[in-house]
Amino acid sequence: MRLIIREDTETAAEYVAEYIIGRINTFTPTAERPFVLGLPTGSSPVPIYSALVTAHQMGRISFHHVVTFNMDEYVGFPREHPESYYTFMHTNLFNHVDFDPENINILNGNAPDLQEECTMYEAKIQEYGGIHLFLGGVGSDGHIAFNEPGSSLSSQTRLKSLAYETMLANARFFNGDLSLVPRMALTVGVQTIMNAKEVVIIATGASKALAIQSAIEGSVNHMCTLSCLQLHPCSLVVVDQDATMELKVKTVAYFKGVERTIQKSTKVRRPLVQTNGFHAGPDKAEPDELSPDSMSSRIQTSQSFPVRSATISYGST
Amino acid sequence: MPSAVRPVGTAAATRRSGVVKFTNCLLVKGTDLVHEDLWVSSVTGKILNGQELLYGHLTAPDDIIDLGGRILSPGLIDVQLNGAYGFDFSVIPEDGSIAYGKGVQQVNRNLVKGGVTSYLPTLTSQRPEVYHKALPYLSPSGSTRDPNLGSESLGAHCEGPFISPTKNGIHNVSVLQVPHDGIASLAVCYGPSNLTHPTPIKLVTLAPELPGALPAIQSLASLGIIASIGHSEATYEEAKLGIKAGATSITHLFNAMKPLHHRNPGIFGLLGTASSSISKPYFGIIADGIHIHPTSIKIAYNAHPEGLILVTDAMRLAGMPDGVYDWTNGSRIVKEGALLTLEENGKIAGSSIELIDCVTNFMNWTGASVPEALKAVTETPASMLGLGGVKGSLQEGADADLTVLDVLEGAIGEDKRVVVDQVWKFGVKVHDREGQLRG
Repeated sequence: MRLIIREDTETAAEYVAEYIIGRINTFTPTAERPFVLGLPTGSSPVPIYSALVTAHQMGRISFHHVVTFNMDEYVGFPREHPESYYTFMHTNLFNHVDFDPENINILNGNAPDLQEECTMYEAKIQEYGGIHLFLGGVGSDGHIAFNEPGSSLSSQTRLKSLAYETMLANARFFNGDLSLVPRMALTVGVQTIMNAKEVVIIATGASKALAIQSAIEGSVNHMCTLSCLQLHPCSLVVVDQDATMELKVKTVAYFKGVERTIQKSTKVRRPLVQTNGFHAGPDKAEPDELSPDSMSSRIQTSQSFPVRSATISYGST
Repeated sequence: MPSAVRPVGTAAATRRSGVVKFTNCLLVKGTDLVHEDLWVSSVTGKILNGQELLYGHLTAPDDIIDLGGRILSPGLIDVQLNGAYGFDFSVIPEDGSIAYGKGVQQVNRNLVKGGVTSYLPTLTSQRPEVYHKALPYLSPSGSTRDPNLGSESLGAHCEGPFISPTKNGIHNVSVLQVPHDGIASLAVCYGPSNLTHPTPIKLVTLAPELPGALPAIQSLASLGIIASIGHSEATYEEAKLGIKAGATSITHLFNAMKPLHHRNPGIFGLLGTASSSISKPYFGIIADGIHIHPTSIKIAYNAHPEGLILVTDAMRLAGMPDGVYDWTNGSRIVKEGALLTLEENGKIAGSSIELIDCVTNFMNWTGASVPEALKAVTETPASMLGLGGVKGSLQEGADADLTVLDVLEGAIGEDKRVVVDQVWKFGVKVHDREGQLRG
């Protein structure tokens, strides 16, 4: 797992947006070979989406051949409801960029057979050959998608009841009236996220600090489902300063050091990389490669050494 | 300037949906301007729900119109227009009815360029034969939903002849009538076939104090025709009886009626009524700077903001260049901008203002915001006409009659000005100020 710490919400979101843009553009998706992106809702991703919209308007990115799968949706909630995740995605992203409407997938919380809906959703992800990059947020109790504490770490897309804490957090969207907050949701499972080739998590604000601490410094535990990422081969957590408040100073210093080291090594190595032609066209050379981290992959001297921890990379230089 | 772009690389090229999306614009919603997009169908001519298009119909727009931050308003509605572009709705040409019909069509096509997408062609007090000939040509014209026809008649406004001979304005006293037999008198005058369903008449202005007027108002209301109080000597009490009988509006408030008197507020008093038995009526205001003092407009607006409807009351010289024009009975009218005067005595002879300039005046005089001023020519007249949610509205399912407006900020000490940049009728662009017609 990599941890990227940025000063504030905006710079953290900007980092993630640029990361996604880089991934999609490197992939050069086509109609036959689309990029498959998992998407969250919530307040943390909003600035990411707005950065993606700006990039699209500047002509830096097209989403036309990007297929999306949203993480979750409330059950029995009208699609038109201002707080539905359909509305959220339309308002914040889909309306402003060039997604093909047929490439957009959101769980239908009004499906006649909810179990069938979940099974089909999972199957559709498989049809596309899995998700290339799953973007996610995290709840204050460490939940990822609606995989509340106690969710099985090998769960798939399914119907879930919402934790009291999640409902309390969501009440702000319903004039503070807890009775209006939906109690059930359809959500992708922890395993669905783990199956993605790459997972990127955004967590900003002091309210996420405990969740981040438990996911990064704690052990893998179903009470903080985000901690599952410790077992993922390619995960990235991007936070702002506030979200690091519960972390040890040592932890923060360590991950900051990792990032510095990578930057330094990249700088030192770049001329060398360019001379051997590797940097000139890595995207074209291996369009299928979803390299876990463009920076660490640049400093690798050998492709047969697929590590992503900069500590090891540092040692290798 | 507004620009139309085809979404790059979408499937739209092969699968035209007729959907147009407006973006980078400010929508008039209630009394707010909101930064939202709007979707319309050029096929059905209606406003669509963009989110439902995406998720429900998996449809992307054919065209995306970037309005460059301009205001997107429902098309304007003028409920009192006597004529324009040299044509007078109250005059049957010498070459007969067919020429009359052509004249109406020409007005419609010209009128839409000023942003007026629907209106009530208005007849001043006339002899019965004029109504019999003219009314069939003034009936609601939107049923074909053809954008090329220009502005749409929502039905005729018969201003008279059942009005007070002492508040006649420029109406000819000799043709005025008293509705002794209630609706039967009206039927004789307008023609019986014009008072049966479907009627070409949308609104009748009459004086409630005349004998037989109250039962006539009741009958009009039951026919679905709006009764509006005007050209009247009514006291407050008489006006109130008119409202109780079913009148819902006042025709050009302040003009051709008793002024406000502190011991009897007259028709104006209806705006301040504390009575629980009647609701405050809608009221037309001619904001041309000639008919009413700006402060009087502000007072009326403060008394009943939800009822104010801006009207032009313009006559056939509207839209014509300045100059001296022949009038009836050998008189001549001098046109100087919006000001029209009789050559012989300098009396005000109607108005020739455009509705969008009434919006500008109203804003500058009352301090109303742009959306508040636009409401007085869109949502309010639509609800007065019983067309709320169909006309004068940007909500889903309403007719896609739209105006694209720009607000030109005046220099220091000068006023703001609202200008019409584009006009859309039934989801199709029918006018572009800069002449760059595309799509």
